[in-house]
Amino acid sequence: MKKQHLILILTAFLLATLPSCRKSAEYKALIITGQSQHNWKTSSQAVKQILDETGLFSSKIMISPAKGEDMSGFSPDFSKYDLVVMDYEGDAWTEEAHNSLIDYLNNGGGVVIYNSKSFPGAKAPENVSVSKRHEFEIRTAISDHPVTKGLPVRWLHPDDEIVQGIELAGENLQVLATAFSDTSFSGSGRREPVLVARNYGQGRIFATLIGLPDEKDNKALHCAGSIVALQRGAEWAATGDVTQTVPGDFPTAAAVVLRPDFKGMTLDEAFELIAGYDIQKSTRHYTFIQNEIRRAGGDTEKLLDIEKRMVRVLTGSEATEESKKLMLRELSWMGSDYCISAVRDLAAVPGLQDEVKYTLDRLNPE
Amino acid sequence: MLKKTSRREFVRHSATVAAGVFVIPEIIPSSALGMGGKTAPSNRVVMGAIGTGSQGMANMRDFLRLKDAVQFVAVCDVDSLRLERAKNTVDAANKNTDCRTYWDFREFLEKETPDAVSIALPDHWHGIIYTEAVNKKLNVYGEKPICRTIHDGQTIVAAVKKNNIIWQTGSWQRSLPNFRRGCELAINGRAGKISRIEVGLPDGGRTIGTPPVKEVPPELNWEMWLGPAPKVPYRGVSHWDWRWILDYSGGQLTDWAGHHIDIANWGAGLEHTGPVEIYGTGVYPPEGIYNAPVEYDFICKYANGIEMRVANASRLEHGMGTTWFGDKGWVHTDRGNRLTASQPAILEEVIGENEIHLYNSENHWQNFIDCVHSGKPAIAPIEVAYRAISVALLGEIAMTTGEAIKWDPEKEEIVGNPRAGRLLGRPYRQPWTLPNV
Repeated sequence: MKKQHLILILTAFLLATLPSCRKSAEYKALIITGQSQHNWKTSSQAVKQILDETGLFSSKIMISPAKGEDMSGFSPDFSKYDLVVMDYEGDAWTEEAHNSLIDYLNNGGGVVIYNSKSFPGAKAPENVSVSKRHEFEIRTAISDHPVTKGLPVRWLHPDDEIVQGIELAGENLQVLATAFSDTSFSGSGRREPVLVARNYGQGRIFATLIGLPDEKDNKALHCAGSIVALQRGAEWAATGDVTQTVPGDFPTAAAVVLRPDFKGMTLDEAFELIAGYDIQKSTRHYTFIQNEIRRAGGDTEKLLDIEKRMVRVLTGSEATEESKKLMLRELSWMGSDYCISAVRDLAAVPGLQDEVKYTLDRLNPE
Repeated sequence: MLKKTSRREFVRHSATVAAGVFVIPEIIPSSALGMGGKTAPSNRVVMGAIGTGSQGMANMRDFLRLKDAVQFVAVCDVDSLRLERAKNTVDAANKNTDCRTYWDFREFLEKETPDAVSIALPDHWHGIIYTEAVNKKLNVYGEKPICRTIHDGQTIVAAVKKNNIIWQTGSWQRSLPNFRRGCELAINGRAGKISRIEVGLPDGGRTIGTPPVKEVPPELNWEMWLGPAPKVPYRGVSHWDWRWILDYSGGQLTDWAGHHIDIANWGAGLEHTGPVEIYGTGVYPPEGIYNAPVEYDFICKYANGIEMRVANASRLEHGMGTTWFGDKGWVHTDRGNRLTASQPAILEEVIGENEIHLYNSENHWQNFIDCVHSGKPAIAPIEVAYRAISVALLGEIAMTTGEAIKWDPEKEEIVGNPRAGRLLGRPYRQPWTLPNV
């Protein structure tokens, strides 16, 4: 497998001279694809959905000439975009196209390198390999970078390759996250970078080496962790900051989280689905709601909004008893006067008497 | 061979032979008279054990390893297989078949009158069973953390004070030389005036999702295992793994608070107080019955200006263990006999005669037995154990609410936040109630 030095990608740029100036809430992204060692049709569509899902980006896919075809006419105008995503690994670009991308970066542009170990014009490295696909733990190496701030320090990522042997060098380059590449999966036996950021004057490059599509179920591509890392990395590359909050369904050291449709869970969805909870089902909607409660940080308005939704579960004729039990447990500490009558009304339900007593004992209303 | 029985019974038996003791001394082994370095049976501490799982049995073995110091006479567990295993261990040690067994601690406490009881249970049972045992005036070797909630802890502390018994917490790191030495270096200012402490506790592990509901195995009394905790169906998870479920434990954070937070407090003179402000964040499993945080990171500010950071080890430069930072350097201590410092010279420092010398115990279980005999406080008494777990429980409340919590360490209450205040205790499921002291 032909692999290229990321070092060349990340060090091949000159100091930028023009500051970026962006006031629009929406950023234009250009996804360049068309040649790759992975299925670029799958990945580029996924990247588009992932970026657009943030509400920050409106992205467009540009397909290069196919491998071996004439590249002389391929010269995108990067200056119209706030972000350029390179889902491309293939034939060398013309010098003009290559220089144009470097100028774009020099002038404060943002570039995301998505699972490509090569860059147009860069030389092929010799010692890069990949592990077999497997589930592995990613560790945040730098917690105070805008991309990784607030992420778990450890989280599980499914069924992906670990790129190993990439050499990184250069000023302002930061390895944000690493994964230990276990020798039992043809690994290097070392920690390898998986998320990398580089500031270069006004320009920024974010590289992700996870979330690679396969020809099966695309678990790695659907990993909520790699999706969110890409979303945050893209915003940072485009703007220098990250305004997205860490979502409640981000994976942790306890479990992988998949987003088969690339969409994150919303509070509306969580409440809609919690009403159908029974004891054999996953608790993920409940844990999402708990996360929203923690995130409210004592803000009474936000808590009251959540409480009202909980009370709708308590009073809903469709909602299961088991879902009501979960709501009662949370309300027992974070509920206000608002929930009391709904809680009391459930005292007559035989299956809920313990939980109602628990909640009222704790809330101790007048 | 004398029949080994409870101390009270032994006293009755020995009274009947007292008159003839000089006539027929050969019927009493010399060791029974305390000669030859052995302890007379009358001086052996008669013990019972409530909770005979892995930790309960480990403690029993540690007690039995002390030469002739204790005699177990009764065991109690809600799992009949574990109960049988415990009885076998006791009977083998006693060379008889007399060990009495109970599945209900209430019957144990009603019928048995040992000198001391070793208790190792899931945390959600501590409030009731510790308090009941102490109310019976039994001396207690109790596993950490001593409580699942602050209210449980306050009740147990009050019971121990009122009944004036000997309490030893299973915070055995106190009885290891590297921890004690680290604490003495810290508290005597060898790293300078302490301004900051870091406490690294284990990272959390993988979830098992939501296993299917199963039939309760015949050996387990599931209703009694749950006790005051909310009624939930059995899913094949009870022994050991209860510690990843918030109804019974707080995960690695509360499991280890009684070790490294306890050590942190000991070396910083904080063992009789608590923080005044606590804030931080936790990382929770995305789903499943294991719901304790797998990562945690919170700051505790103390009235004297010290800041203690408690986090899962992966977040800290020194990883596991306790690090005290002063204006002259740092001292770090951890398991594996680890004791390091910013400058090697710190480790060579001699603690002067007029400086602080901390309580010295070389064996945690022997220390308890010695104190039962002497009436002196053990090395890990109840209040310091309560203060250690309080730090973790307040951190848990800060993480659960997402708020900075103000705590009054004198009145032991949360200030100005009734919502957070509700998390200081938990209602018990009927028919259980937290006992009166």
